[in-house]
Amino acid sequence: MAGSDSGIFLRKASGLVRSASALDVFIFNIGLISVGIGVGLLMYYGAAYYPNANIWAGSLFACVLMGFIATGMLMWSVTLPRSGGIYVFGSRSLAPWLALTLSLVEITAWQAMCAAAAYWIITLGVGPALGMIGYVGHMPSFVAASDWIVSPWPLFLVGSAILVLSWWVCIGGMKRFLLSQKIAFAIAILGSALLIGTLLIGSHDQFIASFNTIMTPYIGADSYAAIIASAKEKGWGATEFSPLVNTLKVSNWAFLPLIGAAFSIAIAGEIKSVSRSQGIGMLGSIAITGLLWVTTIFLANHVIGQDFIGAASFNKLEANGGLTTPADPAISLLAGVMFGSPVLTALLSIGIIAWMWLWIPGMHTFAVRAMAAWAFDRIAPEPLGDVSPTRHTPVVGYTVSLIVTVVMMWLLVFTPVFSAVVVFIMMAILAWSIILLAGVWFPYTRPEIYSKSPIANQKFLGLPVMSVYCFLGFLAAQFYFWNLWFDPIAAGHGTVQLETVGVVFLAGIVFYFAMAAYRRTQGIDVRLAFKEIPIE
Amino acid sequence: MFWRKSVPKDELTVFFATDLHGSTICFKKFVNAAQFYGAGTLVLGGDMTGKAIVPITKVGADSYVATDSGTRITLESGSALNDFLLKVDNKGFYGAVLTADEKDELDRSEEARDRLFRRLVVERVEEWIDFASKKLAGSAVRIISSPGNDDFFDIDEVLKASDIVDYHDKEVTDLGNYRILHCGGSTVTPWDTEREYSEEQYAEIFDGLRDKIGAPGRCIFNVHVPPRDTALDECPKLDSDLKVVFEMGNPAKMHAGSSSVREAIEDIQPLLGLHGHIHEGRASIKIGRTTCVNPGSLYSDGVLQGVLVSLSGEKVSSVQMLQG
Repeated sequence: MAGSDSGIFLRKASGLVRSASALDVFIFNIGLISVGIGVGLLMYYGAAYYPNANIWAGSLFACVLMGFIATGMLMWSVTLPRSGGIYVFGSRSLAPWLALTLSLVEITAWQAMCAAAAYWIITLGVGPALGMIGYVGHMPSFVAASDWIVSPWPLFLVGSAILVLSWWVCIGGMKRFLLSQKIAFAIAILGSALLIGTLLIGSHDQFIASFNTIMTPYIGADSYAAIIASAKEKGWGATEFSPLVNTLKVSNWAFLPLIGAAFSIAIAGEIKSVSRSQGIGMLGSIAITGLLWVTTIFLANHVIGQDFIGAASFNKLEANGGLTTPADPAISLLAGVMFGSPVLTALLSIGIIAWMWLWIPGMHTFAVRAMAAWAFDRIAPEPLGDVSPTRHTPVVGYTVSLIVTVVMMWLLVFTPVFSAVVVFIMMAILAWSIILLAGVWFPYTRPEIYSKSPIANQKFLGLPVMSVYCFLGFLAAQFYFWNLWFDPIAAGHGTVQLETVGVVFLAGIVFYFAMAAYRRTQGIDVRLAFKEIPIE
Repeated sequence: MFWRKSVPKDELTVFFATDLHGSTICFKKFVNAAQFYGAGTLVLGGDMTGKAIVPITKVGADSYVATDSGTRITLESGSALNDFLLKVDNKGFYGAVLTADEKDELDRSEEARDRLFRRLVVERVEEWIDFASKKLAGSAVRIISSPGNDDFFDIDEVLKASDIVDYHDKEVTDLGNYRILHCGGSTVTPWDTEREYSEEQYAEIFDGLRDKIGAPGRCIFNVHVPPRDTALDECPKLDSDLKVVFEMGNPAKMHAGSSSVREAIEDIQPLLGLHGHIHEGRASIKIGRTTCVNPGSLYSDGVLQGVLVSLSGEKVSSVQMLQG
């Protein structure tokens, strides 16, 4: 006999393991938030297009609303502690065709973001870093390399190579995947610490003096003030919205990477003590991210100046002929400029690139887990769920994911269709909000499942806690869907975007019914996978 | 059987589930799966017995105290007690209503706990047999089963005496036009469980049964432990404290199957391998010509994971993983 534990008697039996640490879930999620991308997007697009916004307040607001969404997803995770993300939740609460469609929409979004991360590694990471190192260190070959790598074909080829590298990491098995993620995570954390440290020991006067000294040959005397004046001349600073509205809008850029905080729903089945571990993991990663963002944004505004970052970014993004920095004015690069050090500039850039890289294998894996869940339910071809007998990884699934992301990279580089890649995240948010809404009714529509949940007896104002938190999460998700919808800078709702959304939704529906028909010819009724067997 | 579709003689539809670990709700679903999925044969893999007793101490005329998910609770009526007992049953645990003295004795005595465990395990198996006998009465469906490593030897006698269960271990039996090799237990585990065998012992068992299996293309392996180094035997890696090892937020994995079972499958190439033991190893794979499946287990959530396999002659015509 194994003895007594927590008021029950256990016997010697296999599988009696202790619960995993909440820290593990925290690390899983924070790696998929990409703190670095968040800061980069907020200070680049945020300062450029929302001039009177309070960026740190906007990022905190996004953290609070993401907290509601994460708590709603936590309720699902506790009630259905199975891996597979929203597909599992949807397939037990909605019509199977809708569950698959929502999952397909979500996976398409993450695949698009996977391609976008590879794209940003070059356009916001490697390219500007090479350029800035070239300017700071007076090395023209670096400047030339910077120009070359962001031109279309090199961008596509190097971006695709990054995706292939991620595929190679993923198919190599868990050991290789985890080693890669550990190295990238350590570099990313060190990069963020270095950035904060650099900003802490620097000063506003020091930055202006150093920037003017380095940039005078390229921009002219008093470059710092000249860039701000030039941007104002070109229209930067004029806005029809109040500071409050622009603060809410700028929070879109914080919300986009924050979605990663709930990605641990994909591994719910592998986490013991789901309620505690997922709760601390999800909400903890949001809190720490918020803290890092606020600290970095506050320091960057203090040392570099929000006006300057916004003005330089505006002229760069608009390509309006106004004065700007020769390379993209990312705060990591500007912090390097403050000390006139190519080495520091390179180190800070590597930190940002590491944050971006963390997304790519993580997103690939997320997509492959969902595809495996579809394959198990026989609504996708079996090979998508096959695990290689030699590598012990779903090689076919990863290969399909690679092909999809390379196609997206091509679209991203060569066509305007995917230029507003954020539209895909909007779709994913819509899918999440539908799942959260289904969670509001779940305790009533599937009482036989909900009654077995550890939260089944917890009420708030007489209502099941799952209904309450899922409703709050639904409201938060809906807020961001519409906030993005009405923000043409972040996403918007142009004809091409709406058509793209429609095509993906339609593809999901067609895919489900085509697979169901095909399976019928094999004597398999896919609907059986979603039905509960009667007990009596 | 009234719900059974008429199928050509050389076809067989099997519903296989495993590792129910005492969950009554899962067992009832398993029995009902025959009608629900149109399966002519039910195969229940091993590990049908539960792992824990939940003591419920009577503290008043109609008042009881117990622990629910780590929280001490008080049950103030007979109906509250019955609801709690049902909940405990469905999780695969054994609820035991005790006096304070009986509880004290169990706290003190490992022998007393062992006696109680064996009694409750046997009672649960008897209840299940009773349910299945009534449910499947008048049909041709029977339950084929073999033991898992966690199953007390005490259940063997009860299952062998049953009319509704064909219970075998280390034997080959007929199943229509097919033969089925039964082999329970598992390789050595960190928990030192009831029925564990070394790789050498497994090799000997297969050597001993090899001559009885007939044509490999018509042989089904009902072997609790899965073949090693496959998707079927991948489970969380544990440290010396039996705690799951996590790396970068991901549970680290290891393989806990049997290399002797894998060698036997590679060598004999049966038509189908039905495996369990590793609850996380839900997958369907091919080892040469053999289709091997492990439906995994989510017994503690009251979810029955199973696999519906259709055989046609010497072919596996379809494999469908199900959660019901």
